[in-house]
Amino acid sequence: MKKLQLLGLFCLFALVAFAQNRTITGKITNPDGIPVSFASVTVKGTTKGVSSDVNGNFSIDVARNSILLITAAGYQNIEVNVGDQTVINSMLTAENTLGEVVVTALGISKAQKSLGYSTTTLKSDEITKARESNVVNSLAGKVAGVRITSQSGTPGGSSKIIIRGQSSFSDASGGQPIFVIDGLPVDNQSQQLATAPSAVPQGTAGVDFGNRAGDINSDDIESINVLKGAAATALYGARAKNGAIIITTKRGKKGAATVRFNSSVRMDKALRLPDYQNEYAQGNYGVYALNSVNGWGPKISEVQDLTFPNFMNQQVKLQAYPDNVKDFYKTGMNYINSLAVEAGGDAGDFRLGYTNNAQSGIVEKQSYLRNSINLNAGRTISPKFDVRTTLNYVSTVGKNRPIQSSNNSSSLTQIIHFLPRTVDVHALKDNYFDPVTGQQITLTPAKTGNNPYWVINNNTSVNNTERIYGNLVLNFKPLAWLTISNNFGTDVYNEFRKLVVRPGTAGALQGSFFQANLFNRVLNNDFMITADKKITPDLSVRALVGGNLYETYYRRDQSDAQQLTVDQLYAFTNAASVTTTNISNKKRIVGAFGEIGLSYKNYLFLSATGRNDWSSTLPVENRSYFYPSVNTSFVFSELIQSTVLSFGKFRASWANVGSDTDPYQLAFNYTPVSQLFAQYSQGSQFPFNGLLGFQIPLTLPNAQLKPQNQVSWEFGTDLRFFKDRIRLDFTYYNTKTTDQIIALAVPNSTGFSTKRINAGSIKNEGIEVALGAKVLGTKDFTWNIDVNFSKNTQKIVDLPAEIVTYQIASAYNGLQVKARNGEQLGLWGSAYERDPDGNFVINSNSGLRRTVTDQRLGNLYPDWMMGISNGFMYKGFNLSFLVDIRQGGVMYSGTIAALRSTGLAKETAVNRENNVIDKGVILDPVTNKYIPNTVPVQSMQDYWGQYGSNSAATEAAVFDASYVKLREVALSYNLPSSLFSKQKFIKGVSLGLEGRNLWLIDAKIPHIDPEVNLFGTGSIGEGVEFYNMPSTRSFGFNVRATF
Amino acid sequence: MKIKYLKIVSVLILVTTLSTSCKKYLDVNRNPNVAEVVDPKLLFSTTTIQYVNLRASGDLWVPMSLVSQAVASNGNTDGTVWGTPSEEQYDVNALSLGNTWRYLYASTSGGNLKEMIRLSESAPVKNNNAAAQAKVLLSFMIYDATVIYGDVPFTEAWRADVSYPKFDTQQSVFDNLIKLLDEAYTQFDEASPLKVSDYDLFYQGNIAKWKAVARSLKLRILMTMVDKDPSKAAAIGQALTAGGFISSPAGNFQVAYPGIAGRYNPKWGLYNLYNSGQSFFGASKWALNFMNPINDPRRAIYFEKPATAANYVAPEPAQDIDPAVHSRINRNFQHSGQPEVLFTYQEVLFYQAEAYARGLGVTTDLTMATTLYKKAVEESVKHIASQSKDVAAAATATAAAASFAASLPALSTFATNREAVKYIHYHHWIDKMDRGIDVFTQWRRSGPEGDEVPAITLPPGAPAGGLFRRYEYPITNEISANPNAPKDKILYNVKMWFDL
Repeated sequence: MKKLQLLGLFCLFALVAFAQNRTITGKITNPDGIPVSFASVTVKGTTKGVSSDVNGNFSIDVARNSILLITAAGYQNIEVNVGDQTVINSMLTAENTLGEVVVTALGISKAQKSLGYSTTTLKSDEITKARESNVVNSLAGKVAGVRITSQSGTPGGSSKIIIRGQSSFSDASGGQPIFVIDGLPVDNQSQQLATAPSAVPQGTAGVDFGNRAGDINSDDIESINVLKGAAATALYGARAKNGAIIITTKRGKKGAATVRFNSSVRMDKALRLPDYQNEYAQGNYGVYALNSVNGWGPKISEVQDLTFPNFMNQQVKLQAYPDNVKDFYKTGMNYINSLAVEAGGDAGDFRLGYTNNAQSGIVEKQSYLRNSINLNAGRTISPKFDVRTTLNYVSTVGKNRPIQSSNNSSSLTQIIHFLPRTVDVHALKDNYFDPVTGQQITLTPAKTGNNPYWVINNNTSVNNTERIYGNLVLNFKPLAWLTISNNFGTDVYNEFRKLVVRPGTAGALQGSFFQANLFNRVLNNDFMITADKKITPDLSVRALVGGNLYETYYRRDQSDAQQLTVDQLYAFTNAASVTTTNISNKKRIVGAFGEIGLSYKNYLFLSATGRNDWSSTLPVENRSYFYPSVNTSFVFSELIQSTVLSFGKFRASWANVGSDTDPYQLAFNYTPVSQLFAQYSQGSQFPFNGLLGFQIPLTLPNAQLKPQNQVSWEFGTDLRFFKDRIRLDFTYYNTKTTDQIIALAVPNSTGFSTKRINAGSIKNEGIEVALGAKVLGTKDFTWNIDVNFSKNTQKIVDLPAEIVTYQIASAYNGLQVKARNGEQLGLWGSAYERDPDGNFVINSNSGLRRTVTDQRLGNLYPDWMMGISNGFMYKGFNLSFLVDIRQGGVMYSGTIAALRSTGLAKETAVNRENNVIDKGVILDPVTNKYIPNTVPVQSMQDYWGQYGSNSAATEAAVFDASYVKLREVALSYNLPSSLFSKQKFIKGVSLGLEGRNLWLIDAKIPHIDPEVNLFGTGSIGEGVEFYNMPSTRSFGFNVRATF
Repeated sequence: MKIKYLKIVSVLILVTTLSTSCKKYLDVNRNPNVAEVVDPKLLFSTTTIQYVNLRASGDLWVPMSLVSQAVASNGNTDGTVWGTPSEEQYDVNALSLGNTWRYLYASTSGGNLKEMIRLSESAPVKNNNAAAQAKVLLSFMIYDATVIYGDVPFTEAWRADVSYPKFDTQQSVFDNLIKLLDEAYTQFDEASPLKVSDYDLFYQGNIAKWKAVARSLKLRILMTMVDKDPSKAAAIGQALTAGGFISSPAGNFQVAYPGIAGRYNPKWGLYNLYNSGQSFFGASKWALNFMNPINDPRRAIYFEKPATAANYVAPEPAQDIDPAVHSRINRNFQHSGQPEVLFTYQEVLFYQAEAYARGLGVTTDLTMATTLYKKAVEESVKHIASQSKDVAAAATATAAAASFAASLPALSTFATNREAVKYIHYHHWIDKMDRGIDVFTQWRRSGPEGDEVPAITLPPGAPAGGLFRRYEYPITNEISANPNAPKDKILYNVKMWFDL
């Protein structure tokens, strides 16, 4: 009762106070609704003032009818007449990009100028200018230091992202950054399923099932902030040692409800197909042979008086079909329609988005469909308490994703790209099965090559992912300077995969199928207490402590069925043999973290963080690890007056982060065996004659593992000249990741293949430059150029002396990605033998080049990368294009190796009828000295055969991977608003043309797009192409309307 | 205000509670997908199948059969043949060199057997039979390892205290294998119920048979060594006197493939996957040159001749196969359920015949040798026939076995003792023709360089420098990871210790 009386008294005083001076509260935000902290709020004409806190909130006592002046570095000043208001929420618009607020680790918003490290933010219009079905691709060429590699032209295919160079020898993510959506770290795996060993046709070897970041709908994204260095991500700890992609989804903007509609239609074509010879038929040494699927037969023009059997056993005159590969591929279509409803007011906001992305591939029957629903809603419950939730539902269905690579008779590219020139692809399509018997009409009478249309129409696949992710954020503000918040989120999905192979398929005559369910779940909870105080008028302090619980859980149930009895019935009960496996794993991290930030007079900032993680994956005595970081920013332009320099900042940071490993790597266990390998065969599956089998681990476990450690530092400067017309950002960084947890190859004679140890370090050092200029800027016409450049130098160090090389990944024909002290990761394989002067050593018996195994064939990574984008604006028109350049590094192409050894590539037709004496030397057996080679190669078939046989040097198909690409072109036109002024329904319409991956302007490698990659995104390996699906170029248009 | 502090305090309490339950929360690193304890027999089945798969696979059977010219790979005109150049021209894929090594030494293989021996011998009640069974199988595998690669790790292999096992000389590996086999023989305890029986794909726990195969393998090792180390003749004599070898076809050491999906003989798996069930390989001319004149009944089992061909004709190595003329490996012989054979009764007989013919540790006795080799051939015909799924052809061959053997010449009729011994070798070679590494070893031990049986020649397209003699060491699986491995590359054409 007494309390009530007191309260009454308090209210009375408050009322009295109201009559004279009033307390105005408010929140300052930027146009995206993100709070502007440390903005200065002063009463105009006085010295009285406060500054906004970390959440943009302020409170000030003012007289009635005062005018508030709100200023913040990087924003345009505004004045607000107080009048009778008690709540003033203000929106500041950016004066330049540096005034922007960016979302950093753990969803903490900070002013760009206060950051002591480099970040790059892409806004929604950048991302949706020319839509990519995989949002990762929309970063390509736009962010310095970020390298994107798409794996293939598969609809819904995956893309890999590496920031500032690969820093891991082994990493389940493939060394990729974490993806964080609205504070929730989400899953970005690209799960590979191993099926029955080696050559089993239902195997998913080489099927690109996409990476899970591809589920993110670009229309729902407000911004993507790329945190590149450990200092930026230190608060995330281990999970973000490879950087972080911080995605903020769109919120409802203040004002009346708005409906936004966007429709894009895109056409996809194969970007690059091989160049073929069209002079020679299939056969051997000039003699026609139907069973030989190649181009070593007779010259077509010279046998016009003869007939030969074709694949349908008809006697026909030989004729080249120059477009038989091109005609196989069709135009893929991609329709992206999105609809969003959004609204907002003082008490809350919401945005509900729906997007339908329907894509058909460049191969018949291939399709990809994604439906996503996104809800982002916030509500202020009371002045001290607000709540926000985001909820996403995504469903993707991929159909008939192509099998790539070798050792699989259903691999489409393996068939299509190697069709003899005399095979009419239309005839294949019309005659893939015998209408009488229902049997396949194969490419060869020996039934060794499948008709591609048999594969397309019968050996189908589906993968279907149902995914829900989202989070709930509670903010409680018990005191003006204190905020307690909790962010709980989860990301759950199940992916179903099924692949069938119809009986009668060459290579799997008895038919087979497999299906699998992949369940994945991430749970994350961040609890934070933030205190924010202005200690003196010039000095503000912000301190934060928090805790994190993080769990990943994974479960896979998979069944492989073989030998089907009833045709086209894919039921396990219809199979002679079914092997079922189930595995699961779980990992947990507990983290405690803190940050303290000081800011002095809006130009000097210092921030230090510390985090301790406890990981379930490490030995109990080593499971706790602490990592600190510190960064500082100095806006020196605040201290100097210059008409040239409009803004200048120096930044520096240092960070040390630790990281754990995958679950279950410590104990010695016995693994149940589901299948055992046998080269070229299907191997054996268990139970075998009713017996089970177990084995000791392949990798000798290590009960004493320690966390990996990464130390990084960077410094840089952000400069703006001539009223921001010219922008220059420069960053130098240096990262060293030590105590790598690796599976070191050990001598197999120890009984193991590898052992788990801490060893080796990777140093990455580089520079990033972003240069932007407003070249022209008149009232009607502007021209902007943005250039970003990055150069990373990688060096492997600290490998123990006995580890001469460390294998990272391996592919066919002895190709490997390996590390060796003093070098960057390299591509290894067999090379041509050379004499001391560098000449090829020729086999005096055959005239062919001699080869040596296990040689380094080149650097895996580019020397430098550059993106150049131009933007033009003329009245309502907006034109932009982006050129993406990669210089340096090598790659191996299995497609080119095979195109040459099969005599199909254009270059193999040259000089076909003659012998060739290869330039090189032979070892004189008498003098034991090298003398010039005089031994001819018996035939061009033998000469080009060097590219494909087992002993052929893989070096023969290793090429410079440099390229110059026209990555993106977008033209848009905003219809004049005058058109809509007479009605209230439509608020605005914009039309656009968009193109992606349009033109391979220059490449050193022939026949293929240098960007494709055999290894999945979860592998560290890259630089190998092996019968990959061609990548696509897309072109389309879109309509955007606001209602 | 107090309430606010209360809230803060309660939050702090919550945090504290959370941190105390942290340990429990983090104890989730026990792998639910694996076993922490297993019965040793569960390791035995894995290694058995991995080992027979390797022997019948594209990593070992295909290359070894081609380099020893026990099958022909033929030219490129027909998509249904293996093609040249191939392993026949000594173009052996580096992957095969590595896989063979891995599947003899690493986790599913030697490493697994060593663990099985450890588990069996460290159990509260020692399982002696299981340990001895593992030792015998390990001896088979390491015998193969050394005849494939030469000097190989053995005494320091699979030891927790050795990171980089040294390479033992082939002679020492053989001697150590003999010791291991003797140790196993002694360790076998027929009276004990503790043994691997249901998980024993060879003998279903028949310890007497295990003891016999241990004795038989020891004989094989001695016979492999004796040309280089004549002192082993005495040991051969003692072994022959002691006996105890495989004494009937029932003792054959082999694993049956069930022949159903996922459990095929890998040889057939290769044809099934890539060649619509037909063999990629032509008949070896070295086989038919010998078998045709004597109308060997094994011919119709091993090979299928075109319907249009009157005789069994083999293509020359690397020659284009003519589907109307040339014979191929018979698809009824290398079928999905063909067993993988590791040791047979007739191999014992061939060794005994050879020992008596050469006087190895026994007095030379050509009559005894004749009896033994004819018996060996008879058993060989029956055993080869037993593998065919063509019931009628198998019955015909089996019926002809005895008379065929009887029709063969007495060893005394040969001009020299060496000619007689070479005749035994040729039959021994024909008997092992389908067994990749075994036929390759038989050829190498059949005589000094230039006098081997059969007298194969360098195939067209193979590099000059002599015949194929060994697998080169695998770089990735061993050499690059083991500082104690031989530094200098030993080429495929360099003879190993036992090979004169």
